[in-house]
Parts: sequence; structure tokens; C-alpha cells
Amino acid sequence: MKSKKLSEQIVKTFKNNGFVLSEPDVLLDSEYIIQRSGENFRRSMLTFENEDGKVMCLRPDLTVASCIKFLEKKTKSKIYYSGQAYRRVNKKSSDLINDQLGIEILGSKNQPQDDFKVIKTILNSAKKIKGKKIQIKVGDISLFKKLINSLDMPERWKLRLIRHFWRPKYFEELLKRLEKNSDIDSVTFDTDKKRFYEMKKMNQDKVVAGRSIIEILKRFEKKIKDPRSFNEGKKIVKIIRSFLKINCHLSKLDEILLDFAIKNNLKKNIFKEFKSIQNLKKLNYEVKFITNFGRDIEYYTGIVFEIFSGTKEIARGGRYDDLLKSLGAKKNIPAVGAAINLNNI
Amino acid sequence: MKNLITIGLPSKGRLKEKAVAFFSDRDLKVLQSKKKRNYFATIENKPNIKIIYLHAKEIIQRLGDGTLDMGISGLDLLNESEKNLRDKINIKQKLNFGEANLVVAVPDDWIDVQTVADLEEVAFDIRSKRNTRLRVATKYPNLTNNFLISKGVTQYKLISSLGATETYPFIGSSEIITDITSTGKTLEDNNLRVLKDGMILKSTACLFIAKKKATKLESFLNSLD
Repeated sequence: MKSKKLSEQIVKTFKNNGFVLSEPDVLLDSEYIIQRSGENFRRSMLTFENEDGKVMCLRPDLTVASCIKFLEKKTKSKIYYSGQAYRRVNKKSSDLINDQLGIEILGSKNQPQDDFKVIKTILNSAKKIKGKKIQIKVGDISLFKKLINSLDMPERWKLRLIRHFWRPKYFEELLKRLEKNSDIDSVTFDTDKKRFYEMKKMNQDKVVAGRSIIEILKRFEKKIKDPRSFNEGKKIVKIIRSFLKINCHLSKLDEILLDFAIKNNLKKNIFKEFKSIQNLKKLNYEVKFITNFGRDIEYYTGIVFEIFSGTKEIARGGRYDDLLKSLGAKKNIPAVGAAINLNNI
Repeated sequence: MKNLITIGLPSKGRLKEKAVAFFSDRDLKVLQSKKKRNYFATIENKPNIKIIYLHAKEIIQRLGDGTLDMGISGLDLLNESEKNLRDKINIKQKLNFGEANLVVAVPDDWIDVQTVADLEEVAFDIRSKRNTRLRVATKYPNLTNNFLISKGVTQYKLISSLGATETYPFIGSSEIITDITSTGKTLEDNNLRVLKDGMILKSTACLFIAKKKATKLESFLNSLD
């Protein structure tokens, strides 16, 4: 087997860079995954019922499986894995089984340094794959957040846009609404004032279907006060759209972002501090920066990258600072990782 | 018998009465077996037609596996079924009874939640503050999923329910529900309110046929028009 030799070489590179083997479980509790990834993910999982009636799934992703193993305190923080992930996809031609070789730094303390370490290690492994010219595409979701937070629009709209960045289709719908200045709550808002005052007199800690009276009233008040429509929608959408068109060589990025800020009357320093991206200038590869990138995986929070050999994607990864917490960690555990997809080689 | 036609009708309640009436309105008298609880019936002077009374949901399934050639059941039940089953069934005609809507309902006292957009925000709130998901109790997981996802609601978990779904938010089994309602009375009596844009499906009873049996049914269906 040709690929066996190749994966051995890649694993050797991982080890030489200080990553330790992790062997995450193949079978995971479906409900646990759904709790994290949402109901819509159910159709991507390969599930079965075990003898106790509990629904189990084959691990859909080795990053998630490794994080679960880590949280059980069964692995070191700098790990590599080599194995199969199982997932149903819409496209008929795609395989159910993906051979993945990857690395993760779980509990990453030095963001720029660890981001660089992961990319560098993956690139060194990718070199073992004799193929076409290697090219890197990179994006950074935190830049988008910085842009949105600097724009002048109601808080609820900001949160909405950030929440749905990773769902391009719905995001586009949101932009269209914003453009027309029609809030998605435009249905007349019955200020059920009478009930509001009645509820104010009730025990504020009383819980109605999981939400306390105080929580409900607070949001109700906030909603009345929040401006429902505002006139800047069209202008803001234009700014967002032109931001999402940025696609340039890394060497030009500073200049282009500054230009973008000036052109749109934004503060010049809104995009400062993206060292992880700047660091990539040290690499001897062609790096392209794309703002409209990394929008298909919900858990990325910072840098996102894909490595291409010619036109084929051979590896991808990124920073995911919230994933471990959403899997049940008590505090935030920043993390970054990447995987090589052997099926594409 | 050659050209035997098997028809499935709902076995209970108003839907059964209306389905039988659908045939008698067209001069086709349904003859009940002498044994009152027997699940088979025939049509007067139509020896090639056999009627079977079944649960409305089962009618869809039996149309799919070829047991039934045609049947009367709800549009909601067809749309809720899996694609490979839906692909085997055609809607011949929407009927003027069995009207009911599948809707998203929240507790009355959630006065800050009037639209699906509100629900989406609250779902994210619950997720970020408590690291749990909004639970949606339903008898219609597929339709509920498609609807919520299309409206941008992603942070939820389905709880499957077989009945009395209206109680779920108040016994701690879910926060909100989706359910089928014709008058809205049950929801109202259980302190639930339909979201303003919370209509998932307008359903009615339909006359369904198994796609594969279309040719065999042709002349009989023409006589029904």
C-alpha cells in the first residue's frame, strides 16, 4: 500500500514536532454530539442503537472525538491522531469514510505561536506528498467580528450577523433584510403591557418552561427599547459585502485593509492584532488571504486555513477556542488544529 | 381477483366518518361488516374493491409498501414521512375536511417571544448561558427540523412525543412545542400561544394513490370525479 508508507512518514513528522498519539473512541454517544452540534447534524451521523437502546454514532470527526478524549483527562494537550472519521454527506460521490491524519493543541496558551506551529507542522508533512505546487488559503473569522462590532447598528443585528456567519445562505437572507431596513421582527409587536405589569408583581424567580420571569421581562424591556428599524442598513450591507470580497496575496493585506477602512470611514485600527496571519509571511509559500472563507464549519473562531496541492485540497485546519467548553469543559480551553485528508491524495 | 383495488381509510373518529362520507357522496356505499369491530369493509355493487380501516399514519406506510392502492390520510403525515416513502405516493386530491395546522407554540408568559426570530435569539441565549439547548417537543421531527433550520434556528434539540405534547413545557420535558391544531383550543387551554410566523404546514385530508398503481386505478379514479 502506497498510502501506508506515506502516512507513516507524516506521523513521523508529527512526532518529531512534539505531538503525542491520541486514540479517540470510535463510538460516541449521539446525544452528546447533538447537544453540541445541533439537531441538523443528526442527518450527517452514522448511528445505531446499542443493546440498551442508547443511540451511538461512529465518530463523525476526529477533532471532536479527540477533544472528548482530552476532557476525559486521557490525553496530553499536544496530540496527533491517525484514523477514520465517518460521516454522511449530501453529495453522492463522496465517501462515508475519511482517512484523517491530524494534530491538535488543546489548551493552547500562546495563540500566534501555536497557530504557527500547527500550520508549519502540517506543511512539513504535506511536503512528503509529492504533488503539484503547494498553495495556502487563509482567513480569519475574528476579523469579521471586529468589523461588525465597529459598525453602527443595533446590537441585536450585530449578534445575528456574527451568529450566522458560518451559514452563508441564511446570512445572505439576513443581509437582504438589513438592506431593506426590514427587521425580521417587523410583525407588529404587541406590547402586551397589561400582562407585563402583572408579571412584574409575580415572584421574579418563578420559572416558566425553563426561563425565569425576570429573564423574560428583561428581554421584553430590552426589545421595546431597541430600535426596530434604522436607516443605515443599505450602507452597512455595502460595507459588509465589500469586506467579504477581499481576496489578496498576504503581502498586500495590510495595505488593502487600511484602504478598506479609509474608504468606508472606519477607524484605521479596527483590524489591528492579527499576528497569526502576519506570521505566515515567514513561510516560503504562496499565501492567499480570503475574508469569505472558513464559513462551513461552525466551531472555528479565529484563523482558518486550507492547503492545496494544485487544485486539490489536501489539508485544512484552524483555531476553535469555544469547542471544548461547548463539549462540557468548565472553563474556556483555547485550541487549534489541522488535519490531512488522505482521501484527496 | 383481477383488478382488485385495496383502499385504506382512517379507522377512527371524525376522519373516518368524513372519509366514508366522501364515498357515499359519490354514490359509493361503504358496507360495514356485520361484526362491528371488524377492520374490513366493502362497497355496494363493487366486488373488486376492498376497504381496510387503519391508523392514518399506517395508511401512508402501506401505500408505500404496496399493501394499499389508494387511501385517505393527512397531508401532514405524508410530508413528515421519509423521502423514499414520499417518492412512492401521489396526492390525487386535497379534500375539504381534516383541516389542521402544524405550528410552533410557546408558553403564554414568554411575552418577549412573538416571532421565530425571537425564538432564535432565546435559543442562543439558553445555549450560551447554560450550555444546553432549547428543547422542542414534537410528533413531527422532520417537518419541525426543516422549518426551524430554514428560519435560522439552529440551537435546539428535538424531544419526541406521542401525545399530550402541550404539557411538555410545564412538566420540564421541553421548553416549547410544535403540534397539529385545528381550532387552537387545546393550545389555548394549556397556556400556549402560536408564534406569529410559526405556521409550519397547512394540512388537510387527501386522497393518496400509490404511484405504481396509477394505471390500474385510472378508471375507478375517473368515476370519482
